[in-house]
Amino acid sequence: MEATLEQHLDDTMKNPAIVGVLCTDAQGHNLGCRGSLSDEHGGVVSVLAKQAASLTKDPTDTPTVCLESDSGTVLVRTHGTITVAMHKMVS
Amino acid sequence: MGCCYSSESETAEQDGDERKPLIPHPNPDSKPPNGTERNPANISSTRTDEQALLSIINKTAQNIIDVSAADSQGMEQHEYMDKARQYSTKLAVLSSTLSQKKPPPLPSLTSQPHQVLASDLVPYSDIQQVSKVAAYAYSAISQIKVDAKEELVVQFAIP
Repeated sequence: MEATLEQHLDDTMKNPAIVGVLCTDAQGHNLGCRGSLSDEHGGVVSVLAKQAASLTKDPTDTPTVCLESDSGTVLVRTHGTITVAMHKMVS
Repeated sequence: MGCCYSSESETAEQDGDERKPLIPHPNPDSKPPNGTERNPANISSTRTDEQALLSIINKTAQNIIDVSAADSQGMEQHEYMDKARQYSTKLAVLSSTLSQKKPPPLPSLTSQPHQVLASDLVPYSDIQQVSKVAAYAYSAISQIKVDAKEELVVQFAIP
């Protein structure tokens, strides 16, 4: 069933710069996660994407949220009904 | 006697009822209009009327708040001070417990914010990468479907 998604998450983590990846639905329900991102981040990731999308008037313009810090960057992006967060170290 | 259910005693009671006034007289001391003296039964009924009137007056008095009397029940200066001190201590206790209910602050992301702010912008390749990952994940999730291995409904063979 969800083997394709699990494989995709594993493939994403093969990139040495990526230390965490998370996939959540619109309600913050965790669909799959790896590395530094875990179950508890699903809610805040989905809400961040929703709030960012509410800032733009164009419904087709999907924003990407970037949280920059010392310990790398967390990029949050919505595609359709799901939201993906990717924790990437500064290269 | 053409009436089947009548008796002598009943007619006597009916007579008594007829003599009783339907509306009690407001002034018991005045004589009734027909000029006859009141009998003892009428006097007792006027007493109950007085009691009823007294109870109405008492009820009304209970429902009235006398504002002029409230002014006279003033507090002394030291009573004011005591109350003010009591309330302020109670407020201080409550405010300390309220501050404990505040949500914990967000974890500090960086100790050198200027360094993060002065760093290069997030490369566009990273944005493209996360878009690609999200698109792949969406397509992977859309492929999720129930893979029925066997019949969910099985009919029992009846011999």
